[in-house]
Amino acid sequence: MRTKQSHFPVWVLYALVCTFWWGLWGFLSKIGSASATPLQLQILFTLGMLPVAVGMLLKMHWKLECNLKGASYGILSGVATGLGVLAYYAALHEQDASVVTPVTGLFPLLTVVLAFVVLRERLNKVQMTGMILALAAIAILSI
Amino acid sequence: MIHWMVYASIAIALWGICGLFMKLGTNCLSARSMVIWVTVGFLLMVPLMWRMTTLHGLSLGIVSVGLMGGLANGLGNWAVFLCLEKGAKASVAIPLTALYPLFTVVLATVFLKERPTGLQWIGIALALAAGAMLSYEGTNEAQEVPSRCAQ
Repeated sequence: MRTKQSHFPVWVLYALVCTFWWGLWGFLSKIGSASATPLQLQILFTLGMLPVAVGMLLKMHWKLECNLKGASYGILSGVATGLGVLAYYAALHEQDASVVTPVTGLFPLLTVVLAFVVLRERLNKVQMTGMILALAAIAILSI
Repeated sequence: MIHWMVYASIAIALWGICGLFMKLGTNCLSARSMVIWVTVGFLLMVPLMWRMTTLHGLSLGIVSVGLMGGLANGLGNWAVFLCLEKGAKASVAIPLTALYPLFTVVLATVFLKERPTGLQWIGIALALAAGAMLSYEGTNEAQEVPSRCAQ
């Protein structure tokens, strides 16, 4: 007898958890921005990430995987995000957040293009429509 | 004076390529290791930022809010790496998780008693529809097999 397989992929659950935590981060940024500059907040955010990294190390019994390629991609992700934040703040210096943020919110589009070219990832038609709606939603919610 | 669009384009380029790096990294390492290496990347930026500002004069309350924000950000990073590790495509996971302002609006509504504007309601509806559609994998779609550091 064949068992019916669930089509709910587990990664969706993790994506939802991620949006919750990042949403909370956005909320705390909103509160913090009343009394601190974006740069000051960015330093505090980085320091606040340390307990999570230490927690991961503890779970791994201090045995960090040191695959050169993987570690390089990880470090580059952190540096690219940090530099991107600095560029974003520089844009905010010249223009209002309600104009800049919806524009920078288009970054997932570049990821989709790069993933298409480099990783040969293909989206189905429903996901493609979802992608367009997501860009519109990000732009609207960023205003 | 450099036009703001130049800076915004740099941010888009860096954040966009970051999504690719995250997937490529997860093909080589576990989600936990990626959290650690990404944090190392963020830490490398601190001396540069420290040259441009100081934390002097910030109240304990604001420092706590900032540190809690970092904690939430770090936990979010862990979740996105788990998402990618479990086979999510970068082209789906990155747009999906970029919908996080939805939760920011919800939290601001609940705790700051901010009422969403009409436009924000449209954004919320679009985000929910987008989330559902991005999560849709066709029944005949082959399950992605994560390549172990193949790239």
